[in-house]
Amino acid sequence: MLAGQLMDLRSMLHKQGVIFAYSGYVTEPVLSGVGEALKQKLTIDDADTKTLRSVFAIFVEQMQNIIRYSAEMQLAPPPPASDAGALKEIRYGILTIGREGVDYIVCAGNLVRQTDVERLRERLSKIRDMNKDELKALYKEKLRADPEEGSKGAGLGFMEIARRATQPIEFDFVEVDADYTFFALKATI
Amino acid sequence: MRDKLDIEATSRTPAVIFDFAGNHLKISGESYPEDVTEFYRPVFDALDEYLGGLGQGSCRFDFELIYLNSSSAKAVMMLMDKLEAAAANGASVDIHWLYDKEDDTMQELGEEFGEDLESAKFHLEKMSV
Repeated sequence: MLAGQLMDLRSMLHKQGVIFAYSGYVTEPVLSGVGEALKQKLTIDDADTKTLRSVFAIFVEQMQNIIRYSAEMQLAPPPPASDAGALKEIRYGILTIGREGVDYIVCAGNLVRQTDVERLRERLSKIRDMNKDELKALYKEKLRADPEEGSKGAGLGFMEIARRATQPIEFDFVEVDADYTFFALKATI
Repeated sequence: MRDKLDIEATSRTPAVIFDFAGNHLKISGESYPEDVTEFYRPVFDALDEYLGGLGQGSCRFDFELIYLNSSSAKAVMMLMDKLEAAAANGASVDIHWLYDKEDDTMQELGEEFGEDLESAKFHLEKMSV
């Protein structure tokens, strides 16, 4: 029973070509640890330098999106004074890295608030439909601009993902309840 | 004024070696810090102090970055802005952007930063590894 259940979960991931899967609360040390293992795996696969850096770069942006923006979160106890920079909450998300033929795939999903869905969809559609030159121009513009309201980074993450990907980004939304929607983003390298 | 700023690299932060006495500043490695503001604040402070006293002097800044995440790109742009401002005020500033020839994304990023510089001299070079 126990082994059967876990093996089923593993088989399901395996069938989808998934090499790495993380579902749970994501913290920066999780990003560091999974990132190191990912680099090792890509090196073993003999991925070329550009592919290795692109898969890794997209992984970092996807993980940091969950850490900063997932709407599913729990408050953490106050950090010790020595670690004042620590986040006051931990956020839940799922991230997988896998293969489809010769391509690498990095997928991430997390809950977002219903009220943020349209804005997110609009931003991502715009980025998805841009060619490399348009993306470059928008990236430069955003690099110079002040971060948007509610942004905790430079607001460049989705563009970085789209620029590093070899195919247009894909995204999707599934409504969960009146307040939340599950958001998924896929990048192909 | 201090002679130098020397920050050792970690797996997520670059090495920062600012040799102020020799007017040679360098940042190298990977940059995707947990907290980009916390990491770059002392770097900005040290650079501001140094550039404030540079006047008509000359300095060289080497960027030898293998990888930087999107929030670090913003920090790099702010470093470039500070260098450009010093150059506009009369300093002779040479910025060298070294990239791994296997990764044209970092070459493109260098080109993008270089396009915005008018007073500072920009050099785009392949890393000799």
